[in-house]
Amino acid sequence: MKKFFKLPISDIIFAIISFSASFLVLTLIFSTVLVLYNESSLAIHKFGILNFIFTVDWDPVKEVFGAAASLYGTLVTTVLSLVLAIPIAIGIAIFLTEISPHILKTPIGIAIEMLAAIPSIIYGMWGLFTLAPIMANYVEPFLQNTIGKIPVIGMLFQGEPQGIDLFTASFILAIMIIPFITSVARDALNLTPNIMKESAYALGATKWEVVKDIMIPYSKLGIYGGIVLALGRALGETMAVAFVLGNNHQITTSLFDAAATITVTLANEFTEADTDIYLSSLFYLALILFVLSFVILAIAKFFLLRAERGYSR
Amino acid sequence: MNTKDLYKESYIVKKRKVISFIALSLSTLAAFFGLFWLVFILFDVLRHGIQGINLELFTEDPAPPGIPGGGLRNAFVGQLEIVFFATIIGVPLGILAGTFIAEYARGTKFAKAVSILSDIMVSVPSIVVGTFIYAIMVQPIGHINVGGVIGVLFLSAIISIIFGGILGFIVNKVFSIKNPSVGKLINLFLSLATAIFGVFIFLILMPKLVDKIQGFNGWAGAASLAFIMIPVVLRTTEDMLSLVPWTLREAAFALGASYFKVIKDVVYRAAATGILTGVILSISRVAGETAPLLFTSFNNSYFTMNMNEPMASLTVTIFNYAMGPYEDWHVKAWAASFVITFFILIVTIFSRFIIHLKYKG
Repeated sequence: MKKFFKLPISDIIFAIISFSASFLVLTLIFSTVLVLYNESSLAIHKFGILNFIFTVDWDPVKEVFGAAASLYGTLVTTVLSLVLAIPIAIGIAIFLTEISPHILKTPIGIAIEMLAAIPSIIYGMWGLFTLAPIMANYVEPFLQNTIGKIPVIGMLFQGEPQGIDLFTASFILAIMIIPFITSVARDALNLTPNIMKESAYALGATKWEVVKDIMIPYSKLGIYGGIVLALGRALGETMAVAFVLGNNHQITTSLFDAAATITVTLANEFTEADTDIYLSSLFYLALILFVLSFVILAIAKFFLLRAERGYSR
Repeated sequence: MNTKDLYKESYIVKKRKVISFIALSLSTLAAFFGLFWLVFILFDVLRHGIQGINLELFTEDPAPPGIPGGGLRNAFVGQLEIVFFATIIGVPLGILAGTFIAEYARGTKFAKAVSILSDIMVSVPSIVVGTFIYAIMVQPIGHINVGGVIGVLFLSAIISIIFGGILGFIVNKVFSIKNPSVGKLINLFLSLATAIFGVFIFLILMPKLVDKIQGFNGWAGAASLAFIMIPVVLRTTEDMLSLVPWTLREAAFALGASYFKVIKDVVYRAAATGILTGVILSISRVAGETAPLLFTSFNNSYFTMNMNEPMASLTVTIFNYAMGPYEDWHVKAWAASFVITFFILIVTIFSRFIIHLKYKG
């Protein structure tokens, strides 16, 4: 501290100003949690924690609120979009690192990252006006006639295809998160030491065997990190899903039914909440979403940091 | 080795080659699959959007629902205003915070914590940011609008910092001071003047803004976008500053420069392109945000420049128009999407190109 005050005055002032700016970042996070907790305390006292999470009802008239339906919708869309996105994203990453001619690497890489730059509201609109009719008229009847005929799995594909449902929403989410997984996975794959690849080639391995047995095991931490990061993104996506999910607070077994996620509920009902307990329950949902995504993103960061340390060794 | 073994071996080799070929073709297909959706979406936005683009879209206010004609002037102006104020608030804070953790606090635990937390903040759901800002700036708490007071505090702090910077610049240019102790004294005076000016601005703005900030307002929208911008700018600044070689700073230290001088005249100059590109990227990122604006700046079907009122923004207008029942609204929504998408894409490609030229070429 003594040393600090011997610095020139401009230094002291600048250090203090810039310190308070960086301290602000910490304050913002903690105050978000505090404010959301404070606002939702009414609902927390009335419904409890576990009770709120496992209650399906969402009835503004009777003033009974539960998060189960929204959480279910969030969970299904997130998991389904990850299932659709992971193989494709890793395929693209492999293409970009190993297969693509050198001259195409940058343009194709930038083009894939463009997918992440398109605003989510554009995805939503496109989903509503273009993708949903395609889904309703072609893709979903096709799925019903093929996979839908299998006894148990067929449960997932029941109902009249409307295009405004869990399946379409997950599909759009999958397109949106592909670039996140791809860019992290590509960077991780790129860091595989050439000498390891060359040794494998020298033993007579084919290109796919090098990718599968050398590069992917070497960069698996980075790939996990990318996947968890995409998971966090998918959880919190609002506008793309709001257009094509309907807002239906029910737990349904079919993927071809309208549903609700936490984000969609917030977007549709926040400005319409007329009673204190209604607004408080919505804040409660926001708090749950914040904590959930914060934890998931922290896990992603943990993987990525470990991966970084592993590579630099 | 007899012929049977030879046959077996070549069969295995063939099988491995076929598997390799199939797997690699599948990944190539995956790449084309990704590109297909990009082209599909962009083409669709272009196809629908181009129909609605005309001069009236930018120069006229919306017509009453159901009546064709009119434009989206209110939304364009509102969007520009909200993003402008978000930039004014978010960018200086982000750059300052990034500077602190990359320079003064380099390598400390504090710097690491801030860096990791802001990495997490970048991906926090933007709708949660909206609810947070709603709670502190839109919903009146008791009789004092706490968020409004904090908002005005930040605004006056930033205005006074800019004022101080300009004042210092002028003083340095007009009287070129050689004596270090006189320089110190003048610096002290300058910072005092800056602080007094900040308090002054705060006292002026306080009654003017806080009383009027009730319900949805443009400031809340700008604040929520700034919330999203700060961590983005912070991380880019930190990365760009740590790319500046340490020897460059040592050279300046050896000439007797203070750390502040080194940062201002050496480090910032070396990293200027990178930081500027990061700022532009962060602007293009928040320009497309909808969720945080839904219940902060809300929407307004009339033209307004007053940030204390609910304010229309392009993205929220797109949301309302696309969900609405009128065909004319859909055309307008597509046109607005076209404008916003291609603005963002051009900005993103342009800034990536600059980064590529500067740091990889």
